[in-house]
Amino acid sequence: MSGQPFASGLTLAVGAVLVCAVAVLWLSSLASVIRAVSLQGIALGTVAIVLGLHLHDPALIATAAVVIVVKGLAIPMLLRHVTGDQPLERETRPLVNVPASLVASAAVIFIAFARTRGIARYVGTTAGSLVPVGFAALLVGYFVLVSKRRPVFQMVGILLVDNGISLVAFLVTAGVPFLIELGVSLDVLLAVVVLGVLAVRLRTDFGDLDLDDLQELHD
Amino acid sequence: MSAALLAAAAMLGLLASGAGAVAPVKLRAVLTVILTVAACGCAGAAAVEVLSTGHTAVIETGSLMPLSRFALGLDALGALFTLVAASIGACAMVFRLGYAGHGLSSRTASSTLPLFVTTLLLVPAASNVTTFLYLWELMALTSLVLVLTDHRHRPEVQVAGQWYAVMTQLGAAAILIGLVLLATRAGSQSFTAIAERGPRLTPSVRDTVFLLTLGGFASKAGAVPLHVWLPRAHPEAPGPVSALMSAAMVNLGIYGIVRVGDGLLGGGPAWWWLLVMAVGALSALFGSLHSATSTDLKRLLAYSTTDNVGLMLLGVGASGLFAATGHRTLALVALAAALLHVAFHAVFKGSLFLSAGSVQQATGTRDLDSLGGLLRAMPVSAPIFIVGALAIAALPPLCGFVSEWLLLQAMLHGLPSSNTAIAIAMPVGVGALALTGGLTAATFVKAVGIGFLGRPRNEAVATAGDVPRSMATGAGVLATACLVLGVAPFLVLPAVLDAARTATGTTIADPLSRGWSLGLSGVHGALAPGLIAAGLTLAIGLVAGARRLAQVRALRHVEAWGCGREIQTARMQYTATSFAEPLIRVFDDVLQPVHDLDISHTAESRYYVESARFHTSLEDGFERHLYRPATSMLRWWGALTRRIPNGSVHRYLVFGFVALVLVLVVVA
Repeated sequence: MSGQPFASGLTLAVGAVLVCAVAVLWLSSLASVIRAVSLQGIALGTVAIVLGLHLHDPALIATAAVVIVVKGLAIPMLLRHVTGDQPLERETRPLVNVPASLVASAAVIFIAFARTRGIARYVGTTAGSLVPVGFAALLVGYFVLVSKRRPVFQMVGILLVDNGISLVAFLVTAGVPFLIELGVSLDVLLAVVVLGVLAVRLRTDFGDLDLDDLQELHD
Repeated sequence: MSAALLAAAAMLGLLASGAGAVAPVKLRAVLTVILTVAACGCAGAAAVEVLSTGHTAVIETGSLMPLSRFALGLDALGALFTLVAASIGACAMVFRLGYAGHGLSSRTASSTLPLFVTTLLLVPAASNVTTFLYLWELMALTSLVLVLTDHRHRPEVQVAGQWYAVMTQLGAAAILIGLVLLATRAGSQSFTAIAERGPRLTPSVRDTVFLLTLGGFASKAGAVPLHVWLPRAHPEAPGPVSALMSAAMVNLGIYGIVRVGDGLLGGGPAWWWLLVMAVGALSALFGSLHSATSTDLKRLLAYSTTDNVGLMLLGVGASGLFAATGHRTLALVALAAALLHVAFHAVFKGSLFLSAGSVQQATGTRDLDSLGGLLRAMPVSAPIFIVGALAIAALPPLCGFVSEWLLLQAMLHGLPSSNTAIAIAMPVGVGALALTGGLTAATFVKAVGIGFLGRPRNEAVATAGDVPRSMATGAGVLATACLVLGVAPFLVLPAVLDAARTATGTTIADPLSRGWSLGLSGVHGALAPGLIAAGLTLAIGLVAGARRLAQVRALRHVEAWGCGREIQTARMQYTATSFAEPLIRVFDDVLQPVHDLDISHTAESRYYVESARFHTSLEDGFERHLYRPATSMLRWWGALTRRIPNGSVHRYLVFGFVALVLVLVVVA
């Protein structure tokens, strides 16, 4: 794949990653948030596929397969399992309300674009010019981590940050080696499993819980 | 040959440390003492050879430390300090053989003590920055461990350890920054290369390096206002350790100032040395005043260490000032006087601290107000303390007199100078020295009179026996040295002059004529210690003989007047507190004592007193006005910053987020 189809396909996929990140900020029902995470994983995989076809790199396509399986299917499934008995649960009182967090995400995206164009110019390729979008997705994910109250959202935030990092890696270096991407994806999977178990235990022990109630544990 | 001896000393020291760690408890003391004394012997022999031949003993190896060579190079200046440390180390180790208690026979303490002695021997031999800092830090850490040996049983040891740890680490940090700055600017870390390029560096770099290292070394030497750890740590350390710290370790602070100021930087502007003299005069006065008013025997000795360090600094400062104004001969004499005082102070303070350790072991207390009559109870240790006390009070024919006389001469001969700085600084220095001498005499009249003469104030003191022979030997050798060096200072004077010549880089032949008398060539002033000793002995003999002849009336025993009371007890004797009272009154403004009088009357009449309690306490002025505000400010700042991390996960996440965005904005 090359030329115009490549450029527009890549832009579309990369844009989808960012849109999914912003969607998480906007949506409040857990089920739809998890769907957005799943979509972001698939979009990330698509980026890798497009890049793989462009560079004729079968390893990158294999990486893409791993990304789609782990981030697009397995992790959302686990998340659904964690929230299993309350699928209609919502984030009712985030630390920052939805309109304000959308404004904040616009600011964060602006900062990312303003400050990382240097990197884009340094990389020089078509893929490289999209690097600011990766940073923006990363920062929006971090903002989710900060602004939401429920433990499940913390897991989602970490996933968004991780996806942002992967996206930047794909765009800058045309894909990390297969083995490393495999390792990273499995690490994230493991982290989600551990966090999920922890969240379920917290809920059964303390009832419905706000992370800020854990302050008693500090020194 | 001297290099091989130095290497042998280091090996034996490490071996002793290892033996202390693995040997069974019965053999531990004997093994470590034998090996460490052997190490001291080797180092002492190496130092003597360096001093007599003038050749530097060099050991270099690249395999001990990564990225840097481990380099030792013992020149005459270092050899003098190594020799002093070796003498004190050997005596303190022999003393340690009989010293029980304070947990010195634990595995940790018995392997740390030889290591501490070894670092004392090797620090003056370090010849590059990394080696020096490494050995310096090792010395600080081992001495800290040794101060803390008894921390399980006495909480005040922990407080002393904290003070010591903070002050010594702050000092080490200042030295580290100063020397690293010097090494990078000079482009080499070897001392010889730095000494060549040091004088050509820019004045601002030289000033910064000097001020940083002066601060660091002054804190190790216990000079005012960085002395606060000293009157806490020295009394709380076990006997031999406090002797080593006070007689050998503080010297290395002086060594550092001389090595960096005179050696590496090659002298400097007059204000450096005026600063050193000011610190010295202040330390001498403050230390002697506090030792005159202390009632704790070891605390008194610790403050008198600050006092003597002040005198050494006075000499070092005067020497630098003379050199800066072109008086090379006087500079050499003043530095020699300071170095002589370093050596002699080590000898008498070693004997004093060791015999104070004996007193503490025999009676279980250091409080002068509960001692008394020890001359009868401890017929060997008490005379040792008295000889040390006479020496520190600078009375002829003991060694303290010679070095203080020389210091006084050096400063007096600066008086006719046309230089304004000298004309102002020297009289002030002479005045400080004179007042210090008087206060020191009062201090030791008190220590000897209250603690060793009179009658025992309690049962434990009355029945205290003398200490084991090894302890008496360790302290006694040093007391004998006080006498011998006082009568025959020419035994060490050439060595001291060589050291001073190496430090200042001058080649002036010999400003002090040798032989039995001590004369200053080119300037007026002569001293014949041997003649003084002979004269004193003759005079004492005459007086004693005359008294015996005149004693025709038989001795009558009568009851002393007891203020109308019938029963007299030992507790009615003059105490150390009452002895110091007039001094406290005179220096009221400086000392600011806190008196607390508590009288309760009987219920029937206000004219009858049921009980009365009087309590007086003296606080260190610097501690109250400088350190307490500083620590409370630090605590306030700590409390403030502790409020920020409140345990909220979200707040921590916000920190991360803000940091990330800031990094993007600033760096990218």
